[in-house]
Amino acid sequence: MKWLELLTVAGATLAAAVTVVVLYSLGVRLTAIAGDAEQPSPGLKRSLAYACFGLCGLAVLFGLYLIIPYFSR
Amino acid sequence: MVALVIALALFFDFTNGFHDTANAMATPIATGAIKPKTAVTLAAILNLVGAFLSTEVAKTVSGGIIREGSEGVQITPEIIFAGLMGAILWNMITWLKGLPSSSSHALFGGLIGAAIAGIGFNSINLETLLQKVILPAIFAPLIAGAVAYVCTRLAYALTSRHDPETGSKLTQKRGGFRTGQIFTSSLVALAHGTNDAQKTMGIITLVLIAAGTQTPGSGPQFWVIAACALAIAIGTYAGGWRIIRTMGSGLTEVKPAQGFAAETSTASAILASSHLGFALSTTQVASGSVIGSGMGRRGTTVRWSMVGKIALGWLFTLPAAGIVGALTALLVKTGVVGVLIAAVAGTAAVLFMFFYSRKSVVGHHNAVEVEEAGQAVRFAKKKAMARARTEAKAKAKAEAKARAKANPQAPSTAETPGATQSPPTETPADAEAEAITTKDAQR
Repeated sequence: MKWLELLTVAGATLAAAVTVVVLYSLGVRLTAIAGDAEQPSPGLKRSLAYACFGLCGLAVLFGLYLIIPYFSR
Repeated sequence: MVALVIALALFFDFTNGFHDTANAMATPIATGAIKPKTAVTLAAILNLVGAFLSTEVAKTVSGGIIREGSEGVQITPEIIFAGLMGAILWNMITWLKGLPSSSSHALFGGLIGAAIAGIGFNSINLETLLQKVILPAIFAPLIAGAVAYVCTRLAYALTSRHDPETGSKLTQKRGGFRTGQIFTSSLVALAHGTNDAQKTMGIITLVLIAAGTQTPGSGPQFWVIAACALAIAIGTYAGGWRIIRTMGSGLTEVKPAQGFAAETSTASAILASSHLGFALSTTQVASGSVIGSGMGRRGTTVRWSMVGKIALGWLFTLPAAGIVGALTALLVKTGVVGVLIAAVAGTAAVLFMFFYSRKSVVGHHNAVEVEEAGQAVRFAKKKAMARARTEAKAKAKAEAKARAKANPQAPSTAETPGATQSPPTETPADAEAEAITTKDAQR
C-alpha cells in the first residue's frame, strides 16, 4: 500500500490550503481595518493587504504551473 | 461498433461534464460570488481550455484494474461499450437524484462488470482495485474534510473583529472572500478539464487503435481532442443543477469565507494528489471539503442525512455500474442483435430519465437560492413553500406516470439500476417545508 504517498498528499494539501487561506484572510482583515473610520495609517494597512493578496495570486499561478503540463515537464 | 463506442464515449464525456460542474461551481453559486449562468459558462470555457492543454493520454483506460497486456486480456471495443453503458446510466441516475458521485468510479465499475461478464473474474486485479478506487474513496473526503475544517476555523478566527474596548462585534466585512472564490473555483474547473477529458480521449484512441485505423502507440488525433473538449464543455455548460443544489445548499449552508476555505482545500487536494501520485476523485474531494467547512463554521449544521445518502451513492457506484456493464457485456456477446438491443435499451433509459427529470425542472434559476443578508425573511419563506408545494405535486404526478411506464418495459437490462433505486430522494428545499406539504396532501 502507498501509505507514505497518502500521508504526503494529506500533508501537502493541508500546508497549501492553510497557507492560502491564512494569507487571504489576513488580506481581507487588513482591508477591513484600513476601511475603519479612525485608523492611523490606512495606507500601510492597505498595501499590506495587497501584498497578502499578491502572495495568494502567486499561489494560484503555482497551481496553474502544476496544472499545465507544458511547464511541468 | 467503433462509431457506436465513439458516440457513447462522447456522451459519457458530456455526462461527466455536467456531473462535475458542481465540484467547482456549487459553492461560489451558493454564496452569490458568481451568477449561476456566468459560473457554468466560466467552468465550461475552463474545461474546454483544460482539455486542449494536455495531450498526454491515460496510458490504460482502466488504470491497471483490468489485467491488460501480453499475459492478461485484451480490452475489446465490446467491453468498452458495455463499460461506458454502465457508467452513463449510473451517472444519469445519480444526477436525477442530485447525488455527487465520481464519474471515473462509474467508468471503472462499468468496465469491471463488463470484464467479469465478458472474460471472467480473473481479469480483475483486486489489489489495484483496492488501491486505486476503494482506499481513495475513503480517504479523499476525510483528507479534504479535515483540511477544510481547519481552514474554515482559521479563516473565521483571523477575520473576526471585536471592538478592543467594548468587546462588541464590529462589522466583519468578509465579502472579500467572494472574489477569492472565483479564482479557487476556476482552478478546480481547469484541473478537471485537464484530467477528465483525457479519459475519454484515451478511450476513443484505444478503440481506434483496436479497430486498426490508428497506429499503436500514437497520441489522440486532433478531431478526437476537439470532440472530447467540446463534449465536456457542453456538458459543463448544461450544468447538473440538481447536483449543484445538493453541493451548494443541500449539505450545509455556505458563506463566503467558508466557501473560500472549501474551494481552496479542494484545489490543493486535487493538485497535490495528481502530482504526488495518490489519485483522489475530484467529486469526493469537493464533497468532503464542503462537509468539513460546514463543520468548521459556528452556527451552521451539516445535514448528515444528505451526507449519508451521498455515501450510500458512492458505495453503490462500483457495483451498480458494474451490473449494468456486465449485463450489457452479456448482451453484446450474443451478436449484432444483442448490441442493437443494448443500444436501444440504453438510449431508452437515458431518454426516460431525461423526461422524468423534466417533471420537476431544476435549472440555473432555482438551483440555489442566494439570500443576501437582511432580505425579508417572510418573503423567502413564502417562496420556498410555494415552490415546495408545486414540486411535490409535480413529483406525485411524475411518480404515478413512472410507475405506469416502468411496468411494461421492466425486463429490459437498462431498467435494472432504476429498479434497485429507492423512492425519489427529497430535495433539501422540500425537507424544510415537508410538514406543510404533507398537510396539503392530507387535505
